[in-house]
Amino acid sequence: MRARDLLTAFPTVTLETPVAEAARLLADQGLPGLIVVDGDGLPISILPGTQVLRLAVPGYCQDDPALARVVDEAHADGFLRAVAGRTVREAMPRERRELPVTDPDATVLEVAALMARTHSPLAAVVDDGRLVGAVTLRTLLDRVLAA
Amino acid sequence: MSALAWLSVAVFLGAYALIATERVHRVAAALGGAGIMLLIHATDAEAAFFSQHTGVDWNVVFLLLGMMVIVGVLKQTGVFEYLAIWAAKRARGRPYRLMVLLVVITALASALLDNVTTVLLIAPVTFLVCERLAVPVAPFLIAEAMASNIGGTATLVGDPPNIIIASRGGLTFNDFLVHLAPLIVLLMVVFVVLCRFLFRGAFAHDPARAADVMALDEREAITDRRLLWQSLVVLALVLVAFVLHPVLHYEPSVVAILGAGFLVAATRVTAEEAISEVEWPTLTFFAGLFVMVGALVETGVIEQVSRAAVEATQGRLGVAATGLLWGSAGISAIVDNIPYVATMSPIVADLVNAAGGGEHARVLWWALALGADLGGNATAVGAAANVVVLGIAARNGTPISFWGFTRYGLVVTLVTVAVATPYLWVRYLL
Repeated sequence: MRARDLLTAFPTVTLETPVAEAARLLADQGLPGLIVVDGDGLPISILPGTQVLRLAVPGYCQDDPALARVVDEAHADGFLRAVAGRTVREAMPRERRELPVTDPDATVLEVAALMARTHSPLAAVVDDGRLVGAVTLRTLLDRVLAA
Repeated sequence: MSALAWLSVAVFLGAYALIATERVHRVAAALGGAGIMLLIHATDAEAAFFSQHTGVDWNVVFLLLGMMVIVGVLKQTGVFEYLAIWAAKRARGRPYRLMVLLVVITALASALLDNVTTVLLIAPVTFLVCERLAVPVAPFLIAEAMASNIGGTATLVGDPPNIIIASRGGLTFNDFLVHLAPLIVLLMVVFVVLCRFLFRGAFAHDPARAADVMALDEREAITDRRLLWQSLVVLALVLVAFVLHPVLHYEPSVVAILGAGFLVAATRVTAEEAISEVEWPTLTFFAGLFVMVGALVETGVIEQVSRAAVEATQGRLGVAATGLLWGSAGISAIVDNIPYVATMSPIVADLVNAAGGGEHARVLWWALALGADLGGNATAVGAAANVVVLGIAARNGTPISFWGFTRYGLVVTLVTVAVATPYLWVRYLL
């Protein structure tokens, strides 16, 4: 069993996508995360769902967790509105991490190790400089448990 | 001078250039410089590790270490967030009042904690409050960085250069309180007035927005009430012990390290957590600097420079103090004031001795401290607090450019140093 056997088509976002739109995509399609692609359609970042959420959390609450508590309920409910105009580019995490990107020939163990190492519930599959889809945690576990 | 002396000067200048240009990490530059000094026999293990004048100043290292642990615990309690939000509510959403309260809190906190920690604590709250008031956050952040540099000048523990000066000059906590703190109070008043004009575009008041600020609940910021009280008591005990040095005879370094130990022993904070709050790179940077500058003393370079300085200023203490004040401000505007003060301290010590070593001669120490600390405000890279604030601003999508900071910094430095000059003259020189 290789990565190509586990492939699913996966929607992508670009750096210019508004954060709110990215969050909506995640929620509507029940995705485990998002693939951010550059102009050539290649993944430049793969964000697990929690990291997409992080894009929308105000910077001051990330810098200082105590501040999330002092905000009153009414304002807390609408925290996403504050980032209405921000794009994925402005909210991207700064630190460069290893990307969960693999090729169609990767074995299921390779993909599993990659996902575990990068804390990612999905791995993008790139073939010949082209994004061909993704392997999700769910598909992977499904197939491994059935084997 | 001997060939070895010249060689040590070359090593020193090379390391200093690397630190100033940040071509390599400052710890690598300082330790590398110290290593080469040992390699070429400009200094030796005896001097580097055990000499009070030419080696690692363990009073400085352990004072910093102890304070880092105490501050590391205190900052987890949420007390700073509490204070800042309380201040914002007291200001009733009026932006200028808010700025005054925030800079006063920042200055007071900086007098007790290091400047970088203070701005790291105050900046996120500032974002929250400014967002609520819909006022630009940059002026508030810039004002806070400057207030932390000014406030830090007031006490022995407020800014690392002061710790070095205190140790090398044999000055006590109370000396700083008596000689520098009154001037800093005056400078803060001047600074607050200056802010009204410098940032006049940032103070648009919107009553509807003010209500949003009043909805914040500062009490929620406190995570652990018990730990808060415990750490405040320890901090208070440490300060009392600093002040009671003439009675208790504990050096500040001993007080800080005992305070840190007491905090760990008496609270739920573990030794591992406390140790993880220590910025080891900073401490090794200091150690490297001390060995490097110590080598310049060992090879006689500092003596030559001091002799020239003594001859040039012979009997003209006022000229020396004024020159030291403005010169230090100019240099600290561009390079890190810690290596600068570490290098100048042995020279200033010689100048103070040559001038008789009394109360009047010590004006040179105050001139060095004021110049080095206040000069840091002049440019965006002049002090660590400025660099940190610019970093936070950029990360939160409101970048402040080099000139965006510096055009205010130059004004504030010129005004504060200009006020400090007559203070030194009237109090010590006339």
